Amino acid sequence: MAAPLELSCWGGGWGLPSVHSESLVVMAYAKFSGAPLKVNVIDNTWRGPRGDVPILTTEDGIVSQPAKILNFLRKQKYNADCELSAKQGADTLAYIALLEEKLLPAVLHTFWVENDNYFTVTKPWFASRIPFPLSLILPGRMSRGALNRILLTRGEPPLYHIQEVEAQIYRDAKECLNLLSNRLGTSQFFFGDTPSTLDAYVFGFLAPLYKVRFPKVHLQEHLKQLSNLCRLCDDILGSYFRHGPMGISPAGPEMIDVNLRKLTQLVNKESNLIEKVAFLHHCFPMDDNLRQSPQLLPRKLPTLKLTPAEEENNSLQRLSP
Amino acid sequence: MSLVAEAFVSQIAATEPWPENATLYQQLRGEQILLSDNAASLAVQAFLQMCNLPVKVVCRANAEYMSPSGKVPFIHVGNQVVSELGPIVQFVKAKGHSLSDGLDEVQKAEMKAYMELVNNMLLTAELYLQWCDEATAGEITHARYGSPYPWPLNHILAYQKQWEVKRKMKAIGWGNKTLDQVLEDVDQCCQALSQRLGTQPYFFNKQPTELDALVFGHLYTILTTQLTSDELSEKVKNYSNLLAFCRRIEQHYFEDRGKGRLS
Repeated sequence: MAAPLELSCWGGGWGLPSVHSESLVVMAYAKFSGAPLKVNVIDNTWRGPRGDVPILTTEDGIVSQPAKILNFLRKQKYNADCELSAKQGADTLAYIALLEEKLLPAVLHTFWVENDNYFTVTKPWFASRIPFPLSLILPGRMSRGALNRILLTRGEPPLYHIQEVEAQIYRDAKECLNLLSNRLGTSQFFFGDTPSTLDAYVFGFLAPLYKVRFPKVHLQEHLKQLSNLCRLCDDILGSYFRHGPMGISPAGPEMIDVNLRKLTQLVNKESNLIEKVAFLHHCFPMDDNLRQSPQLLPRKLPTLKLTPAEEENNSLQRLSP
Repeated sequence: MSLVAEAFVSQIAATEPWPENATLYQQLRGEQILLSDNAASLAVQAFLQMCNLPVKVVCRANAEYMSPSGKVPFIHVGNQVVSELGPIVQFVKAKGHSLSDGLDEVQKAEMKAYMELVNNMLLTAELYLQWCDEATAGEITHARYGSPYPWPLNHILAYQKQWEVKRKMKAIGWGNKTLDQVLEDVDQCCQALSQRLGTQPYFFNKQPTELDALVFGHLYTILTTQLTSDELSEKVKNYSNLLAFCRRIEQHYFEDRGKGRLS
């Protein structure tokens, strides 16, 4: 723990710290458990690994897959699951298996196999971050790897055609999203008020699907209808990734939501109810803003670990009329 | 199955009751069937027993090729053929029998998640052990898989299947795992199942569901199959409530109904 742990991963965009699911899972877990990670974003130079990303470089060597990285962090005492019971730990494993079996093929298909999406969004994005001439080879290889994985786990031998499995994998993915939404219900995170490994995995798989702008979007539409899952992603992004590495920041109404949330959280810390109501009416005399995000106000948010107190006061002064 | 075929099957299925002559096909029990196929077949048999639906088990050497999806076991009911536990559960539900109707939404989500856990970890570990571990593959799997066929077909088919399985392992990231890591994953999976089962008789308290059938199929097969080493069954034997669970289902659904001991 004396030497810094470095994580090499793909960079961010569309408001996410990273566009790659597995990198996001590791980043989210590190934030939840408080592990000090130095994030090295893969860029256009020849430096750094590019193959099996995300990769954690420690003083003893390198650790490569997300499951192994999370195990390593746990052994270093950065554990986000310390408040879970044994049964909840078992549930975590089961839900992660569900995500990998049912949701991952569809996410891979949306990003890498669907022609419109791949050629207009994914390939240019990755190619711009890989130096020439690797940028001609690597995205194609990743795409073929994704197609392979989908066909080998879902296709029926000996024909292995993608059309036969497309409908099936999207149906499974929608069912999986519905199941996750049912399990989350109205609670803040999956197991109470603090995020855990399962929240990291769900966030890692869902956030790119939710935020990245694709031409072919029917799975994204389905996800947007499940408002509690979208709220989970926005919460985690707002609370844990505001100061971290971020791509293009979202402008407009999302910014107002974030500030509303900050204010509401500050207000919730006050114990006097009358003061709360008067305070909110003072800051937002127009009722439109409140109506825009009805689900935010009545909830109690957990205390933010990262934001220092002075910054909140500054933002307050900016917003009060 | 494609969506159209599934819709067709469920429409037709809903109109007819379960016939007396339903048959389940699997590979030859004594010489040919492998660990993973036996587990799947036993899971389906347990599920049908739990639903009180009679089925006759028929062993054929080419069961894998007869199956519509290439996987055993498959059932032949009336004039339809359905393979694998997932589609069979849906088919049986279309006929009006279901074990998971009493569960609420959250419990159904949990049940599906745990079934995926078993498929993801236990089944993949069994496949790994059979085909990617050189000792087991050479001594047991090749000999068993090719046993009904004459030379050189037995070697060719065995190598072809092994290549296919190794390709799949590589695609999902298990290609570089060592046997110890695989056994550790099995241990983790059994621990999760054991914690979920706790002291209850079945996973969702009083009534068994398809999850119980699936877990029973896999665990019973692991416990009773002779492999080159006993490490896999040792991992399962560490959890006494899982052993009691297997014993309970075996007694209740197989021995009491006069089927005799499962081989």
